Amino acid sequence: MPDWKALVEQRLASLALEPKEKAEVIAEVAAHMEEICEETLRLGITEEEAVQRALSRAGNWRDLQRKISAAKRSEEPMKKRVWQLWVPGFLTLILSMLFLTSLYGLGLRARLVWSGPSAILLYTPWLAGLPFFGALGAYLSSRAGGSRANALFVSVFPALALAGAFLLMFPIGFAVEGITGRHIDFGSVAAVLLKDGIGWILIPAAALLVGGLLAHALLSTQSSSQRTAMG
Amino acid sequence: MIAPGIKRGTAELAVLSVLEDGPLHGYEMARRIEEQTHGSLRFTLASLYPLLYKLEKRGWVRGAWETSNGGRRRRCYRLTAEGKKKLAPIRREWDELFRALKRLTKVSHA
Repeated sequence: MPDWKALVEQRLASLALEPKEKAEVIAEVAAHMEEICEETLRLGITEEEAVQRALSRAGNWRDLQRKISAAKRSEEPMKKRVWQLWVPGFLTLILSMLFLTSLYGLGLRARLVWSGPSAILLYTPWLAGLPFFGALGAYLSSRAGGSRANALFVSVFPALALAGAFLLMFPIGFAVEGITGRHIDFGSVAAVLLKDGIGWILIPAAALLVGGLLAHALLSTQSSSQRTAMG
Repeated sequence: MIAPGIKRGTAELAVLSVLEDGPLHGYEMARRIEEQTHGSLRFTLASLYPLLYKLEKRGWVRGAWETSNGGRRRRCYRLTAEGKKKLAPIRREWDELFRALKRLTKVSHA
């Protein structure tokens, strides 16, 4: 019996779907082809002929590919992106910032780690809570059908937004310099941003990513064990 | 054999009706439809799976991977409560259409 999965994969190579969805379609179509082939074999013909008959009974592969893509994408891609990326991303950002504000309100302050010029300001209570927000973002994105990349992007979105805000300092600085005529030492600004970036961007991104990875791994394990249980 | 244009319209009704008897995977669904219509309705992969995915998106059917006793994994589809609800009006519409056509053809023959 031929490797139907490989044969179908070859014929549906350009199927424009997410990798997981594509793999499922290929597995389903391959199982169907295998059944057709077995049914044809029971008529007493050679395997080679049975394979050919099964392939011809499948109809036009290009047509199948196009129709499957259209059926699966009947939901607008833009709408899909909104629910897989932007809604969970901004929700993660807002919640993590609200958490930060609440901690400030409770009187918990950031602490300097190390001393001297290499001192880094770390907001430990906030950092400790960030994996939870990363996990939440990844969960929401995965639940909306987002890929692994989408889920991880969403989980680190608050750190990316902060990085964006840090980088905005430069055009704002140029504008201020242009308007006021006062010279701004961008070298010093960059050094300060780089140092603060460790405590406010890099370490938070790592904490968010840990949560995102854990949530994604947990969801993947759950979905695979659910599938096994169905058998 | 029925012309493809006419078949296209009936495909939804055929799939939903055959799933009313219980969950089926794609191959078995196509086989039963062909058998029960004495070969008048025959589904190719290109007509069956896009339709199943559309029905799944609408929430009328639900697909889930199942493993048979022989260890073969297949995606089985079952009619959802929503699908069951939709089947009745679709049946009525087709029934009305068939009756209308019957009346029309009788008039034409007269």
